[in-house]
Amino acid sequence: MNSLLRRFLMVEWSGILAAIILGSALLAWLSPAFLTEFNIYVMLRSFCVALLVGFAQMVTLAVGQMNISVGALGGLVAVLAGGMMEKLGVPMILAIPAAIAIGALCGLLNGVLTERTGINGFIITLATASAFTGINLGITQSIPFYNMPPGLVAFGSDRFFAFPYLMIAPIIATILLGLFLSRTVPGRHLLAVGGNPHAAELSGISRGRITILAHTLSGTLAACAAILAVAQLGSAQPTIGSDWLLLSFAAPIIGGAALTGGHVSVLGTTLAVILIALIENGMVLAKVDPYWVQFVLGALILAAVWLNRWRAVKTGTD
Amino acid sequence: MVLAREEFMKLLCDAIRGLAASSILAGLATFGVVGLAQASDNKIALIPGGPHPYFAPWEQAAADAKKDFGIAAVDFKVPQEWKLNLQTELVESLAAQGYTAFGIFPGDAVGINSTMTELKDSSIPSAALAGCAQDPTDAAFCLGTDVYNSAYLGTKELIKAMGGKGAIVHLAGLLVDPNTTLRVKAVETAVGETNGEVTLLQTVADTDAQEAADQKINALLAAQKDEIGGMIATGYIPSVVASKSLRTLGDKRIKFIGIDDDPIVLEAIKDGFVAGTMAQNPYGQGYIGAYVLDLLAGGGCTIKEDATWIETPQTKRFIDSGTLVINADNLTTYKDDLKKVTTDIQSSFKDKYLTCK
Repeated sequence: MNSLLRRFLMVEWSGILAAIILGSALLAWLSPAFLTEFNIYVMLRSFCVALLVGFAQMVTLAVGQMNISVGALGGLVAVLAGGMMEKLGVPMILAIPAAIAIGALCGLLNGVLTERTGINGFIITLATASAFTGINLGITQSIPFYNMPPGLVAFGSDRFFAFPYLMIAPIIATILLGLFLSRTVPGRHLLAVGGNPHAAELSGISRGRITILAHTLSGTLAACAAILAVAQLGSAQPTIGSDWLLLSFAAPIIGGAALTGGHVSVLGTTLAVILIALIENGMVLAKVDPYWVQFVLGALILAAVWLNRWRAVKTGTD
Repeated sequence: MVLAREEFMKLLCDAIRGLAASSILAGLATFGVVGLAQASDNKIALIPGGPHPYFAPWEQAAADAKKDFGIAAVDFKVPQEWKLNLQTELVESLAAQGYTAFGIFPGDAVGINSTMTELKDSSIPSAALAGCAQDPTDAAFCLGTDVYNSAYLGTKELIKAMGGKGAIVHLAGLLVDPNTTLRVKAVETAVGETNGEVTLLQTVADTDAQEAADQKINALLAAQKDEIGGMIATGYIPSVVASKSLRTLGDKRIKFIGIDDDPIVLEAIKDGFVAGTMAQNPYGQGYIGAYVLDLLAGGGCTIKEDATWIETPQTKRFIDSGTLVINADNLTTYKDDLKKVTTDIQSSFKDKYLTCK
């Protein structure tokens, strides 16, 4: 039994999983509504966009880069998708792939600028974030596109018992990303460049191409998150993505990603997003005083990170 | 799709025609061939705190005020983000470009005061529109929604819709906004007046971002929908999100009073998911604001110190721009009602609040 527990604790995300189990048990005890079908649906639904946002940042962290434009890019893709469908009458089946392609192009732009100029990706994406937001506001003048196709809106709100259909997309993305990072050559190259760029280059891996690939992937994932947000909200709001930045870093880092690159965890990031969704849901259920919500949220996230750190030190996997 | 292209081409042609016409006129004016008669040569800027759909009617208000009052320019200028420094930089840049008066929504009620003082020192009048600057301020006046009264009346309306008893939830906006505190107090006061018949179950705040609001409001409904008899939203975003959530839930038992007239809220009123919404008068704020600023900037009028101002916790010079409840009965006519309110305030403003030569 002891060895089973020890083996469990050796896993890097076991601390987060323990926090999720403890938190869920506490919330179920505090509020009977926590385990209702509708509440589980609400949590899973809020988890969908957040997970893709976390992944969008995670892939740039994998190569030791950052994408500050994750939210701005998402906002731009959301309004472009909305604009195409409402103003130009483009069918959903064409508008969505087109919008995701635009997201990938924006990511490609981030990658190419970072690589060709030699300027740190942080600065490049900081600048492009401003540009993407500017285009967003220039197009919408802060007025949302309201008339989204009923099929898209239904996809964002319909469910099978507690399972939101919206969740199909992040499940597919998680599996594909997991396979990409663990089983494909470019995926392994991504982590190799992040872990030791010099050694990777000596092994014949093109650092530039891999950096561009990471940013393009990041743009694609942020664009997918934006489409899900449009479906979830039922309208293409120019504010989509405005509060993604903090979450985009929190999820992969709580999940075990190294800020210096070379190590990320798809499962860890997924569990971190579940934990954040759980804490946010718990704040409302526990009727925390609105003036103290931010403090409690920060304190609980710190506690979860500390729990995982304590586990790592105790098991010698630090 | 065809229609959209035709519209686009038409707009493009209109724009080219307009550009050509204005170029010709500008050329003629330069050579003194024609002189465009203006009642006033003031240039007025209407500046919101940042991009937000609430302020969209200011653009039309600016265009109408320019035309109706013969003002040289009334322009709607939006700071890139909701940040005080971006707003003040925009104001300073426009002042340097020759703008002679400013109608400003103070995103930061205290922080904007130093800029308003700078403007006053340069003999440029400014007014707080849609929200007030905190006294002591050099804003000439504040024309906006009496947020306390609006939240109070909204809660009363909600209590009426609930049959005078039950538990309510308040969906509030940004906690850093001093108006949120006023709204929280107003809801508590209205609930307190029911002698325990209505209770305030919870206040959910910081719901001013779409995605955060969606998560919080749905979590609230998931946890307590059977206990909740009614909800009141005092922020634009939670009002929209709650309307959509109640529609998704298919719940017409929970009574809901929102704020502002976003199409999603109006549609939900039409379909019976929302009992009503508290209309504000953003168009009137921009239109009347531009009119009065023109009078002040021309130097012909000054503020009447002993006028019958409304005193609020923020300022001693407040004018209510009008609040009314939109419900199923006046859904199609409320815009006319607001227009009448605007006309009434504008036509009596000079006599009530100004001293003119």
